[in-house]
Amino acid sequence: MDKIREAMEKSAGGVLDEAPAAPAAAPRVYRRGAHLIDTPVPPPAVAPKIDDYEPIIGRGQVEELRFLAKALSGKTAKMVNSTAVGGGVAEMLNRLIPLLTELGVYTQWEVITGGNDFFEVTKGFHNALHGGDYEFTPAAREIFLQTNEQNRARMKFEEDVIVIHDPQPMNLIESRREGSGRWVWRCHIDLSNPHPDVWSFLEPMLEKYDAAIFSSPSFARQVPIPEFLFYPCIDPLSEKNKELDDIFVQKVCDDFGIDRSRPIVTQISRFDRLKDPVGVVEAYKLVKKYVDCQLVLAGGGATDDPEGSVVLQEVMAVAGNDPDIIVLNLPPWCALEINALQRASTIIVQKSLKEGFGLTVTEALWKGKPTVAGDVGGIPTQIINTLTGMLVHSVEGCAYQVRYLLTHPELALQLGKNGREHVKENFLMTTNVRRWLLMYRIMLGVV
Amino acid sequence: MMIGRERANNLTELLAGLRSCPDDSIFQHTFRTLPEYHFIRQVFSNDFAYWSSDECRETALAERLAGLDVRSFTSVSELRETLVDVVESYLRRNPSLGDRPARKPFYFCAANTVVMPTDFIVANLGEFADALKRVTIHSIHYHFIEVRLRLKLRSNDFSIWLEEDLEMPKLAAQLNRIDIYNSTLDGVRENIVRIVEGALSGRKSNG
Repeated sequence: MDKIREAMEKSAGGVLDEAPAAPAAAPRVYRRGAHLIDTPVPPPAVAPKIDDYEPIIGRGQVEELRFLAKALSGKTAKMVNSTAVGGGVAEMLNRLIPLLTELGVYTQWEVITGGNDFFEVTKGFHNALHGGDYEFTPAAREIFLQTNEQNRARMKFEEDVIVIHDPQPMNLIESRREGSGRWVWRCHIDLSNPHPDVWSFLEPMLEKYDAAIFSSPSFARQVPIPEFLFYPCIDPLSEKNKELDDIFVQKVCDDFGIDRSRPIVTQISRFDRLKDPVGVVEAYKLVKKYVDCQLVLAGGGATDDPEGSVVLQEVMAVAGNDPDIIVLNLPPWCALEINALQRASTIIVQKSLKEGFGLTVTEALWKGKPTVAGDVGGIPTQIINTLTGMLVHSVEGCAYQVRYLLTHPELALQLGKNGREHVKENFLMTTNVRRWLLMYRIMLGVV
Repeated sequence: MMIGRERANNLTELLAGLRSCPDDSIFQHTFRTLPEYHFIRQVFSNDFAYWSSDECRETALAERLAGLDVRSFTSVSELRETLVDVVESYLRRNPSLGDRPARKPFYFCAANTVVMPTDFIVANLGEFADALKRVTIHSIHYHFIEVRLRLKLRSNDFSIWLEEDLEMPKLAAQLNRIDIYNSTLDGVRENIVRIVEGALSGRKSNG
């Protein structure tokens, strides 16, 4: 518990036993409820079985997965990425791989190893592929190739399908041999505007693969291999998304001082300028002129990211002394609490200025919440404006839509219902399993 | 779903894409729109209409494209020709609009279709009504809407079975008249069930 306590204190910006230094009327940075202090880091969740999803997606869709897998029985696959814990890819693989294996496609997961210098290089690549500035030095090139070479030397690639995730292990393709399995590159990042030097280094590697998978058509490059579209997904049985007892939701609200008898507008995201938390506070202030409500801004990143703590200070400054603004800098293991906050919310906002796919929007829609979000990145794929949510482009637009939905609960309810169905159809883990099975069938010529 | 080679940044490019994209792309953006957004009643009948409205702000074109009922077509090439005609004649009347940039590009994608059997096998009207309530929306879409491309007929699997195997041509025709654009696909399912159950109770009271 000491580690937890330490992390909580660090996250809270103080010592847990002490009362908050802020005046009683000031926004709460961290409410130290007994519930959170007693919440240990949860043990790794037991991976769900395919049948566990039946109450959510129905028997027909479960049978569909079994049918698709049947013709692949005995086939093997390997997935390779660069980290076993942390990050969306590892989280997704943790759930995906047991499900594919249960369906009869034995899938192995391997993680490449590398030194700090390698991961410095690949972090630079990551930013450069998103269009950022980068000086691509011969040393960086050498480190990238050498580390891939070292991993190639210790890894075997005897499976029917080999899937390489993201750029870090991309040059493992050099292990491809005539008559060996099919190689697929799964790209989780936006390649629409890559740094030309980095892309011209990576593109010849990509062309050696049999296919590539992107999260959005707009993230893809025009390359001479088949390209597929796989939307990112959420797991409806994960701690962040599973159904919760309302007693727990109430307890979390009590711990954080959130009043469920009044409307709650929530944004869940890191304290990052691209998520525009300051804009959310400004929008809330415009709403508050007309409708009594509370604003919850909950996320992490203010502890481990120097910019995050600056952004948190900016948020606190603009929030002023409004006691209805509740700012929560949560540690990363608070998935259940995040889930509860989303479920307690009347409206969820994701006013991003730039976004990848925006899985927090997916989570909100899955919980049937009317959602108001920035028209950027993958958000418009999820929010069909006025049908599954509201897309906005400014503080004023955000305020107007929040206000409108707070005063038109029947529309808010309908948007929430539509949004949940949209996620159920397109962005659940089980849909992703179906896509992988189809991909394997195509790659292996199984009709 | 495959990401296609074609993309359109304006209506002229949309027209070019409609001419050159594979049949699977036309199928994806028309026949597949309904099941993908089956939960929304107000959805446009195809992705081209939605893009013309939402990203190009050309509501008149969008209305014309949305007015196309996929059930009127028994082949993708026939549908493609009509789509091309609609966009081409719109641009002929409004030549200045062709090169005006859309807010966001249209990316042509293509469906991968796998047809699989289900456990539902029915032999009479009662079993049919029961199975209709339990099969997936995709099964309803396949037998009721997509099937026209396979049969090359303006009918559907349900109506053909009712007419040929149960000798119920009136019921078959009733199902074939259901408006698929006036409700969600679940609403279409409910409509079919209501009509079939109505026929069942009529039989009982007559018998």
